[in-house]
Order: sequence, then structure tokens, then C-alpha cells
Amino acid sequence: MAQPVLEWQGGTVTAIRPETLQTKSFTLALPKWMAHRAGMHYDVRLTAPDGYQTERSYSVASPPESVGTIELTVERIADGEVSPYLHDVIVTGDQIEVRGPIGGYFVWQVALGGPLVLIGGGSGVVPLMAMLRHRAAQHATIPARILYSSRTLDDVIYRQELDALATADRGFEAFFTLTRQAPPGWTGYRRRIDAAMLAEVIKPFGTHARVYVCGPTLLVEAVASALVQMSVPIEQIRTERFGPTGV
Amino acid sequence: MAGLISRGFLGRRRPAEVESRLPPGQYLVTDWPVLSAGPTPHTPLDKWSFTIDGLVRKPVTWSWADFTKLPTQTYTVDISCVTKWTKLDMKWLAVSVDTLLEAVQVEPTGKYVMAYSDGGYTTNIPFDEMTKGQAFVAYQFDDKPLEPVHGGPARLVVPHLYFWKSAKWIRGLRFMEENEPGFWEQLGYNLHGDPWKEERYSGD
Amino acid sequence: MNMDDADMNTALMVDGNAVAGQLLDVFGRDMTMAVARCAGCASEAEMGALMAFTHSPGVVLRCPSCEAAIARIVETPTAIYIEARGATFLRLPR
Repeated sequence: MAQPVLEWQGGTVTAIRPETLQTKSFTLALPKWMAHRAGMHYDVRLTAPDGYQTERSYSVASPPESVGTIELTVERIADGEVSPYLHDVIVTGDQIEVRGPIGGYFVWQVALGGPLVLIGGGSGVVPLMAMLRHRAAQHATIPARILYSSRTLDDVIYRQELDALATADRGFEAFFTLTRQAPPGWTGYRRRIDAAMLAEVIKPFGTHARVYVCGPTLLVEAVASALVQMSVPIEQIRTERFGPTGV
Repeated sequence: MAGLISRGFLGRRRPAEVESRLPPGQYLVTDWPVLSAGPTPHTPLDKWSFTIDGLVRKPVTWSWADFTKLPTQTYTVDISCVTKWTKLDMKWLAVSVDTLLEAVQVEPTGKYVMAYSDGGYTTNIPFDEMTKGQAFVAYQFDDKPLEPVHGGPARLVVPHLYFWKSAKWIRGLRFMEENEPGFWEQLGYNLHGDPWKEERYSGD
Repeated sequence: MNMDDADMNTALMVDGNAVAGQLLDVFGRDMTMAVARCAGCASEAEMGALMAFTHSPGVVLRCPSCEAAIARIVETPTAIYIEARGATFLRLPR
């Protein structure tokens, strides 16, 4: 594949969309855009007037079919250094320095086939959403399921889009689990992801599933171990750990 | 390395009222960041020991039971980590390295110390910077047993140097003739590590 | 890994994907798909799957099977240090 753009470039913010109370999606127009693969990320670098710099990585939410721009969905961490700046200070027209796309391990493209099982917790859903958007843009019929864990219904990022996709596409199903609080009449799961829940979700695909797991480290560790116990071959499981933000 | 200046981004702040207590390049924290090079070791206390060996006349080892019978002192010190955070007034209950050294005779060639820990971590410190109250082995923080995630059951604390020298999960001190580099010193970190002289990297 | 070690240290652990940008700087190409063989236990894993301790003066990449340190990376203002004695080899796909 072509070499990613190693040097930093200034992306211009062309749109900011709130997704949930704590997350926003930023669309950046890149002068040196190149097609990524779903699952990859960009590094973001901030520089203060005194030269102080700090970097973070954010997964690309948009599919490679969105030419010329990338969308980054960022959760606002209360005592963070970068996410509060992005949420509270950045407006459309601002420039954000980025570098990428990066990370060929945690990627999915239609050519890799399926059936596809995506398991995410919190903001771990972002790279998984890029995979689903890519699948939809390619009009792929590869069977796919997502199991998405959030604290409450209000924390479910991309909820309407996932529901709409499940309604429109017979080959795709979305499963949600809420770990802190569920609304009255909730028919989804109501607990942290465990082996029983995983077994139900992967049942039609069995050990053929191509699984991508992304989210807080503890969730990813627990899910990956459970999948291996269920005899899903380890080569078919790809993981990306986001660190501690708990679900 | 200059980047595009991010409009309205200021980075972390140094409050004016504690400015003089923050070494150059450091910012103040009030929580206690967890930093580690590896998973938390969990040595059971009945298997734990602390040893002083290397260039000493006769090595000595304490069990946990013996170690916790040694006289202790309370220390309240400011701590600076090379990753730029500084935490003020950290309160420890600890055995002074001076107390531990009463049990050994260090050879005249034993000019440097390698502190070594569970999990394989090491760090090197000059012998004369571990004496006269400059270093201690702590097993309580803020009047509570030191949590494993912060180095419990016991860690070395050398407050006048960057915190990477304060080896978590310490198991011993080895006296040596040369200033051999430990885990981070092998990879570009300063052999000495004085925060007030900003001795972060080799060549600083 | 032992799930009883569910402490902040474990929660902060990430994986090789998190240092993909740094590895790109060092090697000039995506290293997350490079396979590392652990010199300790001989198991193999893609670098994207290695345990990564990044909240640290440097990055330590560890074997997901035996937790031995496979590689360490330190970035100073003037240099990048990398040590990979914990890997018998790194195998890069063409």
C-alpha cells in the first residue's frame, strides 16, 4: 500500500457535530488526504505559543470513501489536556495539526471478507463505525453484527445511524448493552459484556467470525479471553485497547 | 519540531503560589498519576524480602516481618517525575536507608548503588546521595499501606532526584564500583537525574 | 493475563496500536503488522497486539503471553532510543 503521509499537516475543521453530551465529531479537510483503511487512526498534535507540545491518537470514524476529509469522534475527558481543548475551544475554520493514517494491524476492508463481528465499549466504537460505514459505502453483503457497550442510552454514540443501518440492511444487526442504567421498556442487554452475551451474538457465525474488539483495556482483555475460550481462532481476533476510560 | 500554533491552547499551568516549588519544566498535579513499565507485581508478603548485596563485606536480607520492625520515620516531600508532573507534600512512613546501612559494611569500592525490583526494573544512584536522610524505603503513603499500583508493598523514595529513581516494588540495593545504567538510564535517561538542573536525558 | 490484576496499572495498559505513530517515525513504515517473536517464551504476536505500557518515561512493549519486555522506546528532544533485545526477530510483511 502507499506510504502514509509521515509529515504533519494542518487539517481545517469544516464541521463539528455533537454525537452525545460527551462526544463530538470533527470533520477535517486535509490538503494531503490519502485513503486510509477503516480502523486506522491519525495523531493530533497541539502546540502552545511557548512551544509546549502534546499529542494524542484518534481513530478515524469516516470511511475511505469520504474523499478529502476525515472525521474524528472525540470523547471529552474531564481532566484531559487535549479533548477539553477540542471540545471547548475549537470552532469551524480552525486548523488542527494531524499526521497519518496510521496502524495497519487493526483494519478491516471488504476484501478481507467476513462474517464480521464488531465489539466495542464507549469510544471504542469509533473505528468499528468506520468499518461499518465502509461496508455500507461498498454495498457489501458480508454479514455483520456489532455488540456495543455503553453506560446509558444517552452515551450510545451513532445510535440513530446504527438503528437505521440495521433497519435498511438485512445483513447487519446491532446489539446494545447498557451497564449503568437503562430506560423503561429497554429490550437490549443490561450488563457488562460476558461470555454468555458473546456466545449469543456470535452464534450464527460461530468460529468463522472475524472479530474486532475495541475499547477500554479491561473490556478488551475480558472479551478477547472469552472469545478464545469459545474457540474463535486467535488469528481471527483483532484488538485495540484505548486505556482506562471505563464503561 | 515547531508545529502549527494551536489557537487558544495553553497546555498545563503552573500556579503562581507554588511556582518556586516546581522545578523547571514541571507542572503541578494534585492526584497521583500511575506510571509503570510493566504489570503490577504481586509478591506475597511471606515471600517478600529486602537485600543489600554487591560490594559489601557480608550481604544482609530482611523478611517482611523483620523489615517492618525496623525504626521508621515520617517524611513529607515534594516529588517530581521526569514526565513533568510534580506533586507537593507527599507523606510517607519509611525506613531510612541510613538505618538499613547500619547492618552492612560497604567496601571502599562500593561507590554506586543499583536498586532492583520485582519485574526486573533497576535504577542507579550514587552511594553518597542515598545517605544522610536522602533516601528511604517506604511502605505507607498518607497513613495507609502503599498500594501495589504505586509500588507496594515497599518502594524506594529518593526525593531529590526524578521519581524514576524511586524504584517501585523494591527488593534490594546492590553496591557497585561503576555508575552502571539501570532500566531507563540505558535508554537515554540521565545517569544522575536532578530535577532542579533539569537532568532528564543523557547529555543534559 | 490474570484478570485479578484489574488495577489502574492494567487499565492504563494499551497495545502496540497506540505507538504505531512512534514506530512509524523509527522504522519509516507501519510496524503494527510486524510479527515479533519473544526471546523469552518463543511465542509470536503482531506488534499491534503487544501489551504497551505508555504511561512511563518511555514505552515498554511486552509479550502478551509471558509479559517479558520485548522492546523499549524512549524519545528525547534530540533522539529516539529503541532497544529490542527481547525479540528474537521482527518479521515484516512485504
